[in-house]
Amino acid sequence: MKQSKRTFGTVLMTLSIIFFYLPILYMIIFSFNEGKSLTSFTGFSLRWYQHMLESQDMMEALYTTFMVAIIATAISTVVGTIAAIGLSKSKKIVRELMDQVNNLPMMNPEIVTAIGFMLLFITFQVEKGLTTMLLAHIAFCIPYVMLSVMPKIKSLDPNLADAAMDLGCTPWQALIKVIVPQIMPGIVSGALIAFTMSIDDFIISYFVTGRGVKNLSIIVYTMSKRINPSINAISTVMIVIITILLIVINVLPTFLAKQAEKPGNGKRNLIIALACTILLVFGIQSLKPSVGNGNRPFEGQTLHIYNVGEYTGENIISNFEELTGAEVIMEIFDSNEAMYIKVANGESYDILVPSDYMIQRLIEENLLQPLDYELLDCMDLLVPEVLNLSYDPNNVYSVPYFWGTVGICYDTTIVSEEDLEKEGYNIFLDEKYRGQIYLYDSERDSFMMALKALGYSMNTTDEQELQEAYEWLVQCVQTMKPEIVTDEIIDNMAQGRKALGITYSGDAAYIMSENENMGFYLPESGTNFWVDAMVIPANANNPELAHEFMNYVSSYEGALDNSSYVGYTSPNIEVREELGGPGGDYEGINAYLPRTNYEKDEVFFYDENTRKVMSNLWAKVKISASNAK
Amino acid sequence: MKKFTTLAVPYIVWSALMLVLPMALIALYSLTNQGNTIISFSFTLEHYVKFFTDPDFLLILWRSFVIAVKTTIICLLLGYPVAYFIARSNEKLQSILVLSITIPMWINALVRTYAWIGLLSDGGIIQQILAFFGFHDVQLLYTEGAVLLGMVYNFLPFMILQINTALCKMDNSLLEASADLGANPLQTFLRVTFPLSVPGVINGITLVFLPAVSSFFIPKLLGGGQYFLIGNMIENQFITVGEWNFGSAISMIMAIIMMLMMMAVRKAEDRTQGRKE
Amino acid sequence: MEKKKLIEFRNIVKTWEDGTVVLKGINLDIYENEFVTLLGPSGCGKTTLLRILGGFLDTTEGSVMFDGEEISHKPPYERELNTVFQRYALFPHLSVYENIAFGLKIKKVSKDVIDQKVMKMLKLIGLEGYENKNVSLMSGGQQQRVAIARALVNEPKVLLLDEPLAALDLKLRKEMQYELKRIQQEVGITFIFVTHDQEEALTMSDKIVVMKQGEIQQVGTPEEIYNEPANKYVANFIGESNILSATMVEDYKVRFDDITFDCVDFGYKPNEPVDVVIRPEDIDIVEVEKGKMTGEVLSVLFKGVHYEIMVETVPGTTVTVNMHVIGNRDVSSADGKEKISANDFYIDIEELENLDDKEIIARSDAQAWDPETDELMSIAKVEYDLKNELGQYPVKFSTANGTTVERTIFVVNQPFVKNEKANEAIMAFNFFKTVDELLESQALDTDIKTWANAQGWKLSNEDQSIDIFVDYDFDPENIKEGVYKVTFSTTGREFKIHTTDYSEVGQEVGLTFFPEDIHVMSKMVF
Repeated sequence: MKQSKRTFGTVLMTLSIIFFYLPILYMIIFSFNEGKSLTSFTGFSLRWYQHMLESQDMMEALYTTFMVAIIATAISTVVGTIAAIGLSKSKKIVRELMDQVNNLPMMNPEIVTAIGFMLLFITFQVEKGLTTMLLAHIAFCIPYVMLSVMPKIKSLDPNLADAAMDLGCTPWQALIKVIVPQIMPGIVSGALIAFTMSIDDFIISYFVTGRGVKNLSIIVYTMSKRINPSINAISTVMIVIITILLIVINVLPTFLAKQAEKPGNGKRNLIIALACTILLVFGIQSLKPSVGNGNRPFEGQTLHIYNVGEYTGENIISNFEELTGAEVIMEIFDSNEAMYIKVANGESYDILVPSDYMIQRLIEENLLQPLDYELLDCMDLLVPEVLNLSYDPNNVYSVPYFWGTVGICYDTTIVSEEDLEKEGYNIFLDEKYRGQIYLYDSERDSFMMALKALGYSMNTTDEQELQEAYEWLVQCVQTMKPEIVTDEIIDNMAQGRKALGITYSGDAAYIMSENENMGFYLPESGTNFWVDAMVIPANANNPELAHEFMNYVSSYEGALDNSSYVGYTSPNIEVREELGGPGGDYEGINAYLPRTNYEKDEVFFYDENTRKVMSNLWAKVKISASNAK
Repeated sequence: MKKFTTLAVPYIVWSALMLVLPMALIALYSLTNQGNTIISFSFTLEHYVKFFTDPDFLLILWRSFVIAVKTTIICLLLGYPVAYFIARSNEKLQSILVLSITIPMWINALVRTYAWIGLLSDGGIIQQILAFFGFHDVQLLYTEGAVLLGMVYNFLPFMILQINTALCKMDNSLLEASADLGANPLQTFLRVTFPLSVPGVINGITLVFLPAVSSFFIPKLLGGGQYFLIGNMIENQFITVGEWNFGSAISMIMAIIMMLMMMAVRKAEDRTQGRKE
Repeated sequence: MEKKKLIEFRNIVKTWEDGTVVLKGINLDIYENEFVTLLGPSGCGKTTLLRILGGFLDTTEGSVMFDGEEISHKPPYERELNTVFQRYALFPHLSVYENIAFGLKIKKVSKDVIDQKVMKMLKLIGLEGYENKNVSLMSGGQQQRVAIARALVNEPKVLLLDEPLAALDLKLRKEMQYELKRIQQEVGITFIFVTHDQEEALTMSDKIVVMKQGEIQQVGTPEEIYNEPANKYVANFIGESNILSATMVEDYKVRFDDITFDCVDFGYKPNEPVDVVIRPEDIDIVEVEKGKMTGEVLSVLFKGVHYEIMVETVPGTTVTVNMHVIGNRDVSSADGKEKISANDFYIDIEELENLDDKEIIARSDAQAWDPETDELMSIAKVEYDLKNELGQYPVKFSTANGTTVERTIFVVNQPFVKNEKANEAIMAFNFFKTVDELLESQALDTDIKTWANAQGWKLSNEDQSIDIFVDYDFDPENIKEGVYKVTFSTTGREFKIHTTDYSEVGQEVGLTFFPEDIHVMSKMVF
């Protein structure tokens, strides 16, 4: 019987170890995958590591993660230890009160703590970025350090400090020479906990960061929507570093103990430890990519771009950097709304790439600066249909970046064209396709679909019509079991996982080029004709360089790189013709050449009140989708 | 001696600023209207009213609790035997096992969660295994099961470590005493081992339930955009909708409910440990 | 009345995983209604033996019989005996009542019977009214009683107690000793009690088993163990004693310290080396001429009921050296900013090879300091030229700034005093010291030993050093320059005596004892 129990335990233990390590192992293996797939291993390659090393975003995230962790650990360990010693000698009431206060970040849901920090920094107008991240990390690490140091202090002989001072120590010496060595194990484990907490943190960092400062978690979160095996690569690097660190931590004490047995080695060990730390810091420092120099017009200058993820050509940034000598820092946003919140809160960028309606809003709120046409030489190269639209008459503020429509991407083997033509958007209520549809997680696209399905203008301000659209959407999520997705729709449709999805024409073009069974349909009830364009915020630091970038992006070379990589329709006449025409990448793909001049197609019009109504209603649609399960 | 007390003063100031004030700000935002600026505001309860009068919001709250409770129960059922096994193995194996449970905790939670996407996605390894056993085309990713799995995966180590600590702290002579008094191994477990590990179990429950109920990246990554929990609602209000006041109100509601639950748990714990006081 | 044999240990061997043998073949019988104590220092295997009986450890070899039945392979919960654990092992989550009722509940005894039995137990241990108390809030003595009640309520045939009194303070321990004895007599079952406290064992036991390093040394009643220890080890462990090496001249005659005494022991080979033990309370102090031995009183300690007097009957080994007390010979630097001092010293020629700069500085007590601040400075340079032959050699000490003092090293062939009979030797050197150094000394005796480099050692083992005492007749407070005699000596044969009569330290006294007070034991075989 004893035997069977043992076997049961071993099996259980093995299973749980497999459970814990399987995903990690899987990730490490797939970081060496040749192909892009996360499901089939096609061959060994270091391609994603190279991709990772070339990605400034990722390397900086790695650097930020460790930098913040090391500094936050150092500061919180020192401050926490000192505070714990001080508190242990304080009055009971102070001690108990502080216990409660320290419990706040531990007993509160982390997201609440995170929001607390965010509101704090916003209220006191501390610019969000590395400093705020560091401050927040220090703040939530200190309680853990104290928690681990306190018991050690409590178990100390209370006369120890007195004895030291009796023997001639100053209080400071008593602290350093007597108390601190005694509580060292507590301090070390406190530091370890702090380091783990900091390196592992996502939620707090996510809410308090700004200025493009990202740690690894944030990168993974914002990049996870589309398949990107470099996430596996950077995660593997992280895992390797952590594992080495852990092994060192676990092996070093035994090693040091052995060393210490030989007399007179204490100092040497300290020096070794110090050297290790310095090496580590420098090693991490060297991760930070360095910038080459030469004699170019914008040498040493920096361009801050705030753009959507996966929305730039493969080489466009590096070519631009090569050309101008400037350094480009590109921050990625999730949605126009997320971008707006940052910009409205005074964060400074040189170029934004928002959508039409958001440009209108930014103009209305005086957050943009007019373009200097003296510096622009690209406007003649662009498709006339995308110029001089209602959101920015005469293109005073914006230069088109990509453009297109929103339509229905469908699997031609499952969805009959007849149904599409007959039902238009109402095909999303057709129970024949239940469980087969994707909705796009964007209030304006979803409401556009609903309003157009109902025959209204997508720019309606009529609350009744909006309410009807809301009900249309609720009906859809409650009866059709849709998945509400963002960019993952692209890879999923390309692999034919579902039959119907609302997609941007550019995404549809990519999907169709990957999967010939896919089609793109624009309902006759009209759709959203959209333009994403480059603008320069009013508080930009380097407008001149921004203009230069606009020129480059709009030029044949830049636009070709952009459009052929991303798959969205280029505003550059020559590029559009070349890619969409015979022999081009998108030959025969209707999604690449958006419908123009159709009267029922509209450009989105921004209205603050409607936006609020819509975003609230959309949140509720998602909630009822979630509740419908 | 007195000198040392002054060492605490800077931290008291710091914590008032960095720990207490943020909570006060959330409370303030949740009770005020108009805006992302603090200059112009008026007090109102409308955000709370809005939350509590909408059955959809309440349902989300309820579902968040349900999934957190499920996560906690699964973690307890899986974690206890594992912790028990670790505690009963010899010292060397014990430290190796504890370390191997700890290492994944050191690896970023987001990275670990992301790793599951590949495993669970259509055509992924798990689906293939299921297909091998005759379950074809089972949708795994973007289901409640995936969210549950992600939560259990992320929070199970907390449960194991807490229970293991409690079991290891237990004096072996208590088990011997129980056997000495005639209890067979099962009786010893039920009457001595388990009751004495209850504080660890409670700590474990706290450490699992708390992050599970407020989690937002696990549902988002593994549950998809249509999977909404209270944490996602808060994120949505702050990051996308920009309704900070309403978001603060939801945060306050969650914080208060959690605080009440913690107090209830501690009370219950005191009662089981009762006679100590 | 013939008592029934209850437990038999048959050749019990226990080896730990790392190969250490804790029990080396224990054979022991325990009878009904006995209070048996396993006595020995920690690590002797007594607790291991108890745990084997309790079923918490398996034996490596041998068998355990209980009531005629082999029980080595029964798990603890099937054995008809109960244990009181060292730290009581009370269940912290259960009340006093629940703790005591634990075993009965396991046996599914009906509720009212449990009630009745628990109450009876509470009465037995004198804790009525405590049934709902939290055990972890009780005092050590109370917890102890609960632990006993918890075990006894199951009506075991044997109660095992593993150092149950170790955690109690002295007064409580004494109380509990009587209490345990009373309970054992009242319930009338066998108690097997493990302790390292000989007094506890003597007070409570019917039978004592003295153990050492996994072996039984002696089994007997307390009286037998005390009065007739089987060997030096038992004698030493039980009570205080004077143990000496002796020779059994013939039957009834034993010889030690060059005197032959009458005794009551016989059956040894002629001239067999033996150990002799004389209990301190068996020796009387009498006038010198009436004593069987004479000696000098070394110390008198008041112990409450009696005095503990140490008497030296055979003097130790001595050596006398010259202490040269000299004037102050500090050297100042030209600018007066530093001073340096050092002394001449003697050294044995055999020690020359061990001599290095550090040792020379230490032996000569060389120092340099700043006269204004009295802060010490380091000696930067030591210059000397020593040959490996007797003679006088100059040595020069300098500071970094070149302030120098020159002294002499006397290399001598120092004889040492041997004392074959006492198996010891002692040696010391003449030395030079200034008046100031003598006056500044805070622990003069220790300093003089250091200065003279006085050492004592066992002839049989040179590494084993012997304590040395210093004697001199100068007044250290008012010492002047000159040469003084200093004597170093070891202690000789000492006897410890417990008596109610007071003696003066330094007094010459006679010692006497009766032949039956001399207990002769075989030499221990290792």
